[in-house]
Amino acid sequence: MALLTSAGIVVKLVLMLLLFFSVVSWAIILFKLFQVHRANSASVRFMDFFWKSKRFDAIASQIDRFTSSPLTVLFNEGYGELKKVVDSDGKSEGSALSTDLGGIENVSRALRRATNSEITRLEKYLTFLATTGSTSPFIGLFGTVWGIMTAFEGIGKTGSASLAVVAPGIAEALIATAIGLVAAIPAVMAYNHFQHKIRVLVKEMDSFSTEFLNIVQRNISGK
Amino acid sequence: MNARPSADSGMGICCAVSTIIHLTVFSLLFWYGSHIQPMTVAETYYVDVVNLPVAAPRAGSPTQQGNDSEAPQPKPTENQMNLPQPPDKTPKNVSAPNAASPRKEDTSFADKLSKIQGKAESRAQEATLERLRNKLASTGSGRAGMPSATGNEAGSDYTAYIQSRLKDAFRETISYSSRNPEIVVRIFIDTEGKVTRRKIERSGSDRAFEISVIRAIDLASEKFTPPPNHKTFEGVFVFKPQGISQNRP
Repeated sequence: MALLTSAGIVVKLVLMLLLFFSVVSWAIILFKLFQVHRANSASVRFMDFFWKSKRFDAIASQIDRFTSSPLTVLFNEGYGELKKVVDSDGKSEGSALSTDLGGIENVSRALRRATNSEITRLEKYLTFLATTGSTSPFIGLFGTVWGIMTAFEGIGKTGSASLAVVAPGIAEALIATAIGLVAAIPAVMAYNHFQHKIRVLVKEMDSFSTEFLNIVQRNISGK
Repeated sequence: MNARPSADSGMGICCAVSTIIHLTVFSLLFWYGSHIQPMTVAETYYVDVVNLPVAAPRAGSPTQQGNDSEAPQPKPTENQMNLPQPPDKTPKNVSAPNAASPRKEDTSFADKLSKIQGKAESRAQEATLERLRNKLASTGSGRAGMPSATGNEAGSDYTAYIQSRLKDAFRETISYSSRNPEIVVRIFIDTEGKVTRRKIERSGSDRAFEISVIRAIDLASEKFTPPPNHKTFEGVFVFKPQGISQNRP
């Protein structure tokens, strides 16, 4: 504690900045942990429900039970676009779906758009973790270098270079690097962990989109 | 259709939780820091190598103060060796009133013994002083560092002193251009310590070396002390790049 109180103003500013990075990083880590966990569990439950159900309108009526899953967003977008295509086909005399498959393309585009928006949502705040992981050690190192410079100035003024004079200044300076590492290490670990989890969710969304399009195409072909 | 709640709804709660976690960790560290002993830097202890404490036999061990202040002497032990007692010649059946006479004999015997010891010690001291007197008489004037008090023969302290001063000055002025220059100079110093004459007895062809030798003599002569016993000094010195030596006869 004495090390923190006796540090210079620049070192204190560096420590406060690193503390801010650490607080926000841990907030993001906690938020992402809950978000990814809920998304995974809701996706598993939604897929079970999806394959057990026979009709899209039945699934759509129960979709509120799985709001945390990104697959529900895909289903909503795809189903909504499909309804629009079917409605427009009912109004027109010829069947657009069975002739040039333009409606399938519309549903595919809607699913792709929904996938992209979900990826963006899942990856939100991860850039802050990456920034913290890559810059915090350097910020801490800056504080250390500044502290050592100040310590050497003090040594020059006192004219003594004994361990009793040198050691406290260097210890004050090194605490900046220590806190920088404390902020950076969890951020880097969490960033890599969430990147892996999000990649798995993206694969699941791609698979779901493909399955949804297959089902739609089979139904249209069967008409 | 899309009934998803706001994506950032939990972020505020997580920020609060994170702040609480950091405050908790900081408090724990503060508590831990306040309960452990603060780091103390041991006082630097310098050892004076020049005045290292030496063993004081009377104290029984090296003293902390070294040579400057010697440890106090140990208290004399009470069990001192008793002086030899004369044989008790008094008959055993002597009554108590005659007990004072043996005490008188004891004290007279002790007095005699101490007188004998005092005489022996004074004789030893006189012998030691006599030896020192003889030694000083055989080695010169008796003054430390000035044997024989002539000051101008080879090996005398004054010659060594002049050689040392010349060596110091020659270190500052030395310069030469040939390989192994050598100059022999005879120096005359008056009773005031001034160089009255310097005679180059042997010289090579190195002019630079000659000049440096003369400059060295001039430089050294500024600090010469007078020769001992108010006598003049005459010495021959060999100057070489390796140093200065006395030209002994």
